[in-house]
Amino acid sequence: MRKTITGWTKLLLAGLLLAQGCVAPQPGPDLLAPTDAQMKLRSFQSRTFEVTDRKAAMRGVIAALQDLGFIIERANEPLGLVTAARFTEPDNLSVVEVSVTVRPQADGRMLVRANAIYNRSPVDDPKVYQNFFATLNRSLFITREE
Amino acid sequence: MKCRRPRLTRWLGAAVLLLALACLGGCVTLKPPEEFFELTPESPANKAMQTRFFETGNERELLSAAAAVLQDLGFQVEDVEREIGLLKSVKERSAREYGQDIGRFMVGLVTFCYVRLPMDFHQKISAVLVARPVDRNGRRSEVRVTFYRVVWKSDGYFERTSIPPGEQRMEMIYDPLIYQQFFAKLSKAVFLEAFTL
Repeated sequence: MRKTITGWTKLLLAGLLLAQGCVAPQPGPDLLAPTDAQMKLRSFQSRTFEVTDRKAAMRGVIAALQDLGFIIERANEPLGLVTAARFTEPDNLSVVEVSVTVRPQADGRMLVRANAIYNRSPVDDPKVYQNFFATLNRSLFITREE
Repeated sequence: MKCRRPRLTRWLGAAVLLLALACLGGCVTLKPPEEFFELTPESPANKAMQTRFFETGNERELLSAAAAVLQDLGFQVEDVEREIGLLKSVKERSAREYGQDIGRFMVGLVTFCYVRLPMDFHQKISAVLVARPVDRNGRRSEVRVTFYRVVWKSDGYFERTSIPPGEQRMEMIYDPLIYQQFFAKLSKAVFLEAFTL
């Protein structure tokens, strides 16, 4: 009796091991393909501005972020990249980090893309990006007026 | 004995209520991310405090003069992006203040050395400066500077639990005097008058 049980147990174990081998996920060819959510997020995060000078657009981005109380961490002109951060005052409980890229499009206008991170998790709320672009629009408009 | 009991329960009730209130005080609501991208009522005032205009189109001159002024004030220039007129500099100093020393001593005295408060120990003061032309004819430039600091705390202990050193916090510097002094020095360095709009 005892022998049969161990035999069954062995069989069961072998079966389990085999079954585990079967469920190993295979990366499909669509692993890197964009999903609908990603496409939507990209459209929230990007906006084209009627500015032809990339440096002026970058200066506008910096000015907008400064107006919002962000600390400019890094700016790189050849890459068109600006990174900045802002924390809650005075408790330091949450922090928002943002990286912005400015790239010229084929028609000469500037494409601005922003990525925000809130307490180490990416922000996918369109309202956040709308607020940022509204301030940027104002900043670029004032720069042009002057 | 009969009248003591209700008093005890009343005290207990009060203690429970106080505890509950203390627990509620611990609940804080985090600021939602969209509010970080909205201008606050203080934004224009901060901008005015941090910004001055100079009657020159040569923003590179302003940038190098600003670097010299910051060096005079003990800052080390950390990063410059000349093409877009950005300059970052830092200065590290002790953050000890007598007030905190006295406070720590008094708390130690009152609690019979059970509590040793951590104090501000070290600080890194940073200045982010941006110079940019604001006039199409190239006759006027704007300089905006932001000062902030990161403060590290020393160690301490609470009863027998030690509090390790190195807890840090960030603070924006909003003292108008610091900005006024900086711009006064900058305008002397470029032989131009700094003005606000």
